[in-house]
Amino acid sequence: MAQFKQWALEYVLADDEPVQLELTKKAAKEIENSRASSTVVGNWAASVHQWMTLTNSNDDDQMEDGDEAGRGDIISRAKALGFLAGTLEALDKTILRPDQVQRLIGFFGAMFSYDHKAGITASAKALRQLYSMKNFKPEMGIKILEDVCKLKEDFRLQTAVTRLEIYELFLSLVEDPAVSSELQHKYGSACGFALDLLQLCSSERDPRNLMIWFKIIRRLLTEFSPSPEVTEEIFKAFSAYFPISLRSSATPIGITAEDLKEAVRNCFSSHQRVAPFAFPFLMQKLDQGDAVTVAVKVDILKTIKACIEKYENPQASVVPYIEKIWGSLKYEVRNGEVKETINATLEVLRAIARKLDGTKTHKHDVALIKNYIDTVFGDCKDDLSNPTYTKQAGLLLMTVITASIRGYVLYNASFIDIIRQNLRQPKSPTHTRDLLLLVNSILKTRIELVKNRKDGHSDDEDQLRAETRTHLDTLFHDIYLPIWTGKASEPGSDENDVLKQVALGLGLLVSQQALDAEGDVSLLCPGAICNEICTLLSVTLVKALTLSSNDNQSQDATLEDDVVLALRTIVMNYADGYGEILKGAKKEIRKRDWDGPSEYSLEALRVLLSRLVFIGCSEIPANIKLDTKPSVPYSPLQHYFWYLGTLVDLFPLSPQPVTANSYILSSLHASVIWFRDACEAKYGASALAQYSNSDKNWVKEFEQLPGGFLGQLGTGAILPDEGSLKEDDPEVYRQSLRLSLFVIRGLYKSATGEAPWSEQALVQLARTAAFVVQSLDEKLQVSCNLAQEAFSFFKTSEDQPCSSPLSGLLTVGILQGLYPGAMTELYRPEGVAEKFICDTSDLVSSPRASDIKAAVGAIYSNKYQAGPATSDEYQTLKRVLEFWTNWVKDSVASSDIDSDSFRSFTNVAMHTIAGAVARQEKLVLDLIPILHEAAVSANPNGEIVARSMGTLVQPNSEVLTKESHANIKRFYKQWAYNFLVRPLYALARPGSGKNPQTTARYSVMILSVVKNCPFTVYQDDLESLLRLLVTALSNKKDNSILSEDAAQAQAIAALEILVEILANEPDALKSFLREIISGTTKVYQESAPSNKTSHKTLATCRKLSLQVLGALPKTFEERYLLSFSPPTQRMLALACGDPVRKVREAARSARANWAKVI
Amino acid sequence: MREVENANPTILNVSQLPSRSRKATKPRQGPDSKCDHIVYSKRPWLCESSSSEEEDLEEEYGEDPVDAQDIYDLISPISDPEHPHTLGQLSVVRLPDIHLTPPPAERRGHSLVTVTVDLTPTINHCSLATVIGLAVRCRLEQALPPNYRVDVRMKDGSHAQDDQVNKQLGDKERVAAALENDTLKGMLDKMLETCV
Repeated sequence: MAQFKQWALEYVLADDEPVQLELTKKAAKEIENSRASSTVVGNWAASVHQWMTLTNSNDDDQMEDGDEAGRGDIISRAKALGFLAGTLEALDKTILRPDQVQRLIGFFGAMFSYDHKAGITASAKALRQLYSMKNFKPEMGIKILEDVCKLKEDFRLQTAVTRLEIYELFLSLVEDPAVSSELQHKYGSACGFALDLLQLCSSERDPRNLMIWFKIIRRLLTEFSPSPEVTEEIFKAFSAYFPISLRSSATPIGITAEDLKEAVRNCFSSHQRVAPFAFPFLMQKLDQGDAVTVAVKVDILKTIKACIEKYENPQASVVPYIEKIWGSLKYEVRNGEVKETINATLEVLRAIARKLDGTKTHKHDVALIKNYIDTVFGDCKDDLSNPTYTKQAGLLLMTVITASIRGYVLYNASFIDIIRQNLRQPKSPTHTRDLLLLVNSILKTRIELVKNRKDGHSDDEDQLRAETRTHLDTLFHDIYLPIWTGKASEPGSDENDVLKQVALGLGLLVSQQALDAEGDVSLLCPGAICNEICTLLSVTLVKALTLSSNDNQSQDATLEDDVVLALRTIVMNYADGYGEILKGAKKEIRKRDWDGPSEYSLEALRVLLSRLVFIGCSEIPANIKLDTKPSVPYSPLQHYFWYLGTLVDLFPLSPQPVTANSYILSSLHASVIWFRDACEAKYGASALAQYSNSDKNWVKEFEQLPGGFLGQLGTGAILPDEGSLKEDDPEVYRQSLRLSLFVIRGLYKSATGEAPWSEQALVQLARTAAFVVQSLDEKLQVSCNLAQEAFSFFKTSEDQPCSSPLSGLLTVGILQGLYPGAMTELYRPEGVAEKFICDTSDLVSSPRASDIKAAVGAIYSNKYQAGPATSDEYQTLKRVLEFWTNWVKDSVASSDIDSDSFRSFTNVAMHTIAGAVARQEKLVLDLIPILHEAAVSANPNGEIVARSMGTLVQPNSEVLTKESHANIKRFYKQWAYNFLVRPLYALARPGSGKNPQTTARYSVMILSVVKNCPFTVYQDDLESLLRLLVTALSNKKDNSILSEDAAQAQAIAALEILVEILANEPDALKSFLREIISGTTKVYQESAPSNKTSHKTLATCRKLSLQVLGALPKTFEERYLLSFSPPTQRMLALACGDPVRKVREAARSARANWAKVI
Repeated sequence: MREVENANPTILNVSQLPSRSRKATKPRQGPDSKCDHIVYSKRPWLCESSSSEEEDLEEEYGEDPVDAQDIYDLISPISDPEHPHTLGQLSVVRLPDIHLTPPPAERRGHSLVTVTVDLTPTINHCSLATVIGLAVRCRLEQALPPNYRVDVRMKDGSHAQDDQVNKQLGDKERVAAALENDTLKGMLDKMLETCV
């Protein structure tokens, strides 16, 4: 006894929660040790006696007087009860005997009658603990409820936390099946306890408490069977909160207004017995008109929807209110303007239709849904003939009809019929458009219904199977065709909108599927109609080509675009359509003369080809049965075959090397890209990886095909091996590459480099090849021996050799796409690649040849697969790199070679080495000093070497990309900079003892490289670099050492680098401000337009110098610039009159910035 | 707060304002044009100078002396002092009312050029006409080289007291004095904020 008393006292005196917890644990242990002997439990309960007796009689007076002692008593009494509650919390839940539990419940329950000040929190907590005891009996729950309700008016005076405790206690009780059945047994449908609860909690406002209170209410409604009177009382209790909102508070409580709304909504929708109160209440709220805000309206509508969806037995709970609901809601859509409300309203109407239809397992009597749709139909039918309301009425009808398959099957025919009648006498083009929009929506929804037919009741599929379809069959001839032919001749924006709807509708119509008696799917439209539709729309497709530019002035291509989209949908379902379209297009293209076409014709050809690719090759066609036999058996690659065949057939359009020919090849490139994307979208980007181990030699297989096979592609011939491809087999992707490679091979074989092959045509073919080759995996590239084919162009002795210097383009095409591992063969000594790269004989004849050889060299030195230094392959690579380095060294001083040729050669050398630099090939380190030396040669050619040094850190970005398997090291620029530039700073400093020409060349080299590097690469050398920049700016004109061209390029490089530094570390410029300002001013003035240098170069110089100048006032404080301000402002004012607009803009911006420096 | 004098002016859409039609033929953007820029690229392949430079750089750097459209572009973005719109949108500034003498084609070097801008106030008794004129003048003086003379006037008959306003705007001394006035200066700065 004494022990408990002591602990109780300590508990009362303690303020720390951990200490208190410890004490309760001790007490609990003690009780557990005694196995809850009556004495010990009695002692424990009596340990708080001293605090209880003292104040019971007079607490009210003391409190109200604000007596300090009284307050202390209340606090200690509360704490003492807390001690008991805490002990119960720590106590083993099985240990107390039923009579002990009952007595304790009696004790704590009494607190709700006597001690409203101190006892409630602790008692509530204690009761919750007692509720969880093993020996808790359901009757005790009733006792608790009754006791707690005695708190009455004083409930609201409790703190929110205490109330929370009580709400949680209630919730546990009503959620306990044993307690609730006891309650029902005792109170029956009168639910007296519920009324007490309602009274007790009637003015709750705390959001956290409300969340639980609403849960309790929901429970009362669902699990007990309150009489209508009690239900009404309960309804009043929660509906008083509707619509609920939440004041924003500084301290977040983790409950949002949405949570509260949801909780109240759950009360409304808890049980159909609420229906007689809920619907009238909600409708009355809704009908308040403008007094209701959009948010509240949406809340009401969502609540109505929730009620409809959740109530069972719709016949009794929903049907009686439908008329009222519809009566109110139709105006929300008919006359509504706010999108959110309209959508929420339609949701309600849809929910009603779905409810009346039934569930997945049980369908209601068909009369329910029929009556409902009849009501809507009756009200909306007439509105369809009124252009103002057509859209809204249609929307309402659509919503209720298409909510269920049953509704759709019953009513879509009559709906379409009414639309058809109205379309015969449209009031305006927009009326026609709106009506078409409705037909299209029905078709769209039908697709969805057919697709999801298995999700619902099993009757649904049967219904769809038995659906009458004549009204859909006749849509084309009855509705779409007459409107199209009527409007197509009279252009206008309204008519265009109508035509767009027709196009869209035709796409949807062809996509319709029908179910036959076995449940198999086929196209709804007969093949003949599909064909007719394709022909109709194709006219628009080729319109531009058939009309002359004078007759086709239309700027708006949106109708054509919609037709293209529709055609794509159509041919994806009706595969034969694409063949027809291509045939028609081919005929129109052939009609024109392509030897000297107008700009207009060329553009029309380009657009037509681009659209044809999109229509057929941007998706994999679907395999759907047709009423007629298709022209060829289904293949997912069919369209792709047809299109490539058409291109092969069309090429060349002219025997001359004209642009039109290259357009055909551009379109080939486009089709490869589109089909790749279609495959990746359907099969995933990694679909190809599944087949990475093929070692077939496709090229060899191609050779065995009969000659002229390529030409038959367009007529339906397919490559062997592919006959059985299924629509969803990822192998389609790889087979499409095989087909592409076949076509490319055919074109490579026939490419001669002379007419009809223009350079542009060769470039397109090469780029297509690169794209296809890079998609093949390494093993396949090896087994097809593509590395060799890159130089032999798949040609055999019978083919005409490609003699043009541009043939190298084709080589680049294949090499570019190869993996390093597929190139090893090319590094054999004296191999074809080495010979090609080191052959200098063809360079003099064509400047383009230099670019091509440079690209081949770059790929060659980049895609070397690392091997031992002793290997033949390594030695070959070394030979190639040394060959070009030495060539530069040897010819730089030679007088036999003119500067243009020397430039071409240097270009090849630098790019070849650059490929190795990107891979951080160590061989390069030995070559750099040789290049440095060549660059400072006394011969003017040295300047060319110096200026092209930047190429080394800027390898050809067109052929060396990650996608094409190039080996680009992440920090190669940093690596190269260290060897290429760092050692030169000291040598480039003026007055470093060398002759001025040498230092100038060093400076050119440095800037040429630095210009191509990101800031981080050179940021450690800013000091030395800035000196060079300033010199480059101030010496631009009076620099007799450099050629004018070089000086100009030097100035541009310097300005570009300055812009970079200004953006990254402007502080570095602080000590050079005078030089930079005078330098840039000088450059601007010296770059006045002249006939000697290109306008573009000079204008760039002027613009950049103004840009640098203008950035200074934004970066530095006025005091640094003040002394330069007047002359600079004068100069900038003059610059505002610059003859070039872009420069003037830069000048104005700089002037505005400097105007603030005063 | 002063009452707004013309509460409902006619406002032009930004797209309706006269502008230098950059390039009449914008590339077509159909559902099918995804790879047009790749396969119909005009840039030569594998060419030295084909880095990231724009294709039409050459044209952008062509010589193009200051013309009326340039002047219009300078002053049309000035904000109206009482409406949240620009002078261009309110048609206070109109392209046909801007004249340069001598015209661009006949200009030689740094010869003197006179820019005449006739303003049309939204209502003919607009008390802010002077302020607007001043703003136009300021903007042009800040943005044009020194050999340009700026003459800002009210269009004949567009303002009840156009003579007086024109006199004020033409008087250098009075303009200079006005710019000394802090309130007026603040107002002008605010109007010119929308000019880039």
